[in-house]
Amino acid sequence: MGFPGLPGISMKLGAADRQDVKGGRTMRRFLVPQLLVGLTALLLCGSASAQTPLTWWEHSNPPHNEYSKQLVEEWNKAHSNTPIHYEFFAMTPYFKKLTAALSTRSAADMFTVIDTLLPSFTTKNVLGPIRPEWLGYKDLEDMKKAYLPGALDGYIDNGKLYAVPPIASVFSLYINKKHFQEAGLDPDKDYPRTWEDIGTIGKKLVKMEGNRMVREGFDFAMHSSTWTMWYFNTLIRQFGGEVLDASGQNCTANSDAGVKAMKVRAMFVHDYKISDPTVSVGTNALPADDLPKGRVSMFITHAGSVAQFGPEVMKDMKVVPFPQVNPDKPVSPIYGFAIAMNPHLSEEKQKQVHEVMKFVLKDAKTWYERTAYPYPYKNFLDLPGMDEARRTNYLDVFIHDISIGRFIQRSPQIIEINEAIHRAMERVVLRNEDPKRSLDQACTEISRALAER
Amino acid sequence: MLLRYGGLLVTLLTILGIGVVLLPYFWMVSSSLKTGAEVFELPIRWIPQVLQWANYPNALSRGSFGIYFFNSAFVALAVMVGNVFFCSLAGYGLAKFRFPYRMLCFVLILSTLMLPLEIMLVPTYLVARELGLVNNYGGLIIPLLVDAFGIFLMRQYIKSLPDSLIEAARLDGCSEFGIFWRIILPNCKPALGALALLSFRDTWDQFLWPFIVASDDALKTFPLGLAQMEGIDSAAYHEIMAIAVMGMIPAALIFLFFQRAFVRGIALTGLKE
Amino acid sequence: MERNVAALGRQPATPDKFAFVRWLPAWVGGLSIWSRLRWAGFLFVLPALIHLATFKFYPMLEAFWLSFHRYDLMSPPVFNGLRNYQVLWENPLFHQSFWVSATYMFGVALPEWFLALGLALLLNRQIPGRSLIRLAYFFPIAMSQIVVAMVWKFMYHPHGLVNTILEFFWIGRINWLSTEETALPALIIIGIWRGIPLFAVLYLAGLQSIPKEYYEAAAIDGAGPLQRFLHITVPLLLPTILLVIVMSLLSAVKVFLNPLVMTEGGPNGTTRVLPYFIYETGFAYFRMGEAAAASMVLFAFVFVLTLINLRLLRRGGLE
Repeated sequence: MGFPGLPGISMKLGAADRQDVKGGRTMRRFLVPQLLVGLTALLLCGSASAQTPLTWWEHSNPPHNEYSKQLVEEWNKAHSNTPIHYEFFAMTPYFKKLTAALSTRSAADMFTVIDTLLPSFTTKNVLGPIRPEWLGYKDLEDMKKAYLPGALDGYIDNGKLYAVPPIASVFSLYINKKHFQEAGLDPDKDYPRTWEDIGTIGKKLVKMEGNRMVREGFDFAMHSSTWTMWYFNTLIRQFGGEVLDASGQNCTANSDAGVKAMKVRAMFVHDYKISDPTVSVGTNALPADDLPKGRVSMFITHAGSVAQFGPEVMKDMKVVPFPQVNPDKPVSPIYGFAIAMNPHLSEEKQKQVHEVMKFVLKDAKTWYERTAYPYPYKNFLDLPGMDEARRTNYLDVFIHDISIGRFIQRSPQIIEINEAIHRAMERVVLRNEDPKRSLDQACTEISRALAER
Repeated sequence: MLLRYGGLLVTLLTILGIGVVLLPYFWMVSSSLKTGAEVFELPIRWIPQVLQWANYPNALSRGSFGIYFFNSAFVALAVMVGNVFFCSLAGYGLAKFRFPYRMLCFVLILSTLMLPLEIMLVPTYLVARELGLVNNYGGLIIPLLVDAFGIFLMRQYIKSLPDSLIEAARLDGCSEFGIFWRIILPNCKPALGALALLSFRDTWDQFLWPFIVASDDALKTFPLGLAQMEGIDSAAYHEIMAIAVMGMIPAALIFLFFQRAFVRGIALTGLKE
Repeated sequence: MERNVAALGRQPATPDKFAFVRWLPAWVGGLSIWSRLRWAGFLFVLPALIHLATFKFYPMLEAFWLSFHRYDLMSPPVFNGLRNYQVLWENPLFHQSFWVSATYMFGVALPEWFLALGLALLLNRQIPGRSLIRLAYFFPIAMSQIVVAMVWKFMYHPHGLVNTILEFFWIGRINWLSTEETALPALIIIGIWRGIPLFAVLYLAGLQSIPKEYYEAAAIDGAGPLQRFLHITVPLLLPTILLVIVMSLLSAVKVFLNPLVMTEGGPNGTTRVLPYFIYETGFAYFRMGEAAAASMVLFAFVFVLTLINLRLLRRGGLE
């Protein structure tokens, strides 16, 4: 690895042993401790089994983990000679652990990655390329056809696929039917299609008590720079722009499209006055908690929220497509988690991993039922039994949004970019700074991040 | 008269202070007995409508918490004992002996407290791996056995012990280690108590190192179990609070146990000058 | 032997009566008893030194080495001299982090020095129900740090507990964690809340080592409570005071979980303490070399600060 490492310790002890010629007594003095150390190390390292199990790491997401555990049990029963060893870890530090493990070559054979981090990993060669042939497809093009258009794009880099998604998640607009009805609006006909609609409708939904906003008309979540980017990247695309230029080396977030995007982002606070920005910044334990509690009438959140809120809350909710600037050129944000493979595996082990992937991914319907995330298969909606879900769980809306969806800008420095945009957004929303100035500063920071160092 | 009211005022302030200090704790306990929806209701309701005692067994079923608690307890106790021993040994050496480069040793030891663990994470993990300490109890315990804070604490305390105690023991022919074991340690009860308590709590509470070094579910410690209960953007906070309340019990127990060490008046009389 | 020793009682450290003997040249009688003493001391410290060398010094040296390389955690490190330091110097975010950390450090430590002492003195008195009161005050320490973050985040909510109390006293609501001016003070308050019991424990331990007789003798001589405090407690407590001052600064400077969980360094970077900057740069941005360089700067700052403290409080047991 190039480090001034510690490998010589055991060797050094041995050397001292050999050089010590003061006779057997001294030799024996070193022998016993060494034996003890060796024995302890052996015991501590655990029994070395004849075949090492295949390791699979996931981030923690309770309903999802339960299903994964069940799948692992099924596999282990059927394949007792190639068992899977499954572990899941707390969500937020999961990527730190994964990074530390990848950097010390001690990561699992199979692990979950989030699509935004894919370029960071592929540029460092820590993901093994997936072979569609081993998953039962003719080639990558064939595999793409089996999925919704664009659903695999987030996991393809330089023409190779690096991770396979069991879910596709998308952001859509959730509205509170009861609030609509109270305000004399029809939630099925009068729901907002554009951002301006949200503003005008929101004005009828917002509730003030003195100068305190007790119910927001609409709000964006502000707790995470990734969420900010999901909104902002989509907005800038809706205006025809992009965060980085085609080469990925220059920041174009401060273009006209970017400024317009930022203005939309902030207009609900400053112009329409239907958002209270401070309620969500770093103060909400759950990003989508205000909506089920009736503190906001319209909120953009991901598909999994349907299951999270529960049927009781969903009785009062309706999900509609992601708001657009131009309904003829719709764009929505999609993201997802996917299973990736360790690059340092033997050919045989790689085949095993692919077999496991095939097994894990085979049942789209159960994935959806257990995790409440849509499955990105093209014919997902046509699977038997989906009608119920389409009616009550807004599956149509999600699949529609997924099909117009695009993953966040790909870049190995995506997190630095997210943070820069997030700070710019905070300045504009909280301090009412001029959007162009804020984005200019963000671009300076982004350029610094992209520069070769 | 001022003194009389002063005493009363102090007591009142103390009680008020306790109230303020314990407010977060009350919220935690009350949240652990609410339904998921009630937890973040505003304005805050202190007494839940219906006490959800079921939260506790439910929360425990979310992960192998029995194992996590055991691991945390085992590791924390082992580290506590190790800390108390090695740190007092080193503290004694630094406090009462004059050997060359003594101050340098002390400053070097202190300097280990000055870098955050995050930056040393990967190199420390590499060291642990070389020594075969990954994914086993050794890895959870051994790297934590000596802590510079403990050494600092014991050194400062032992400095205040009279030299004459030690000299007398030496004249009586006691071995150096014997002096440490039979004279110094028994006289350090308050500091040892403080060290034991803080060391136990720190180890019990540690997240990052066990997280990096242990991958097996059977090795996870309590904070790891707690953190795992959070999903991507949803979590059963009422159950998390239940686990958190249970997690406070061991530290409280240890504190009560070592409380005696803080009792004033060690039975030694003043030296006749 | 123990009985003889016990009868001698205890007193504050006096100049060692046998000190002059230590300076006898070692060649007198080979390994003289005084030389033996020196080496005994060293041997006592040795196990700790070995452990720290393995698990702390070595990684620290590696971090130092890394600070001169470009390292993204996956590919081999590439030497690039002082470039990392130069990049940091030119990065306004680094400067912001540095000052946030310095403010936090002193903002938390200074009140702790005094409030913890006050609490320890209070809890040292013979109040009824002392054990229970002590237990109550030490609960913040027993709380897991993740839980502290969650609980306080909720308390600082615009409609949360803190604001409810403030409104009760007609002070009005403050958006603690969302306003640039109040976010850091909010975190500082939590730091103090959690630190006071911890350092009170240390002070309490130190207070136990002061014999009651001194206070009694002084009271008989007519010294008032303030004089007893200034002339007996403080001088005899100096070693503990030094401990508390140094440790409060050291633990405050490493704080990282609360800004991470509660504000993610915001708003606009006003709570991005240096350890957070380091973690972000290293693990999120994959620029480990720069993160190492930033740690070196942090280390240098804290090291110098500690040396200054050790020197200023020389009498607290440094001779």
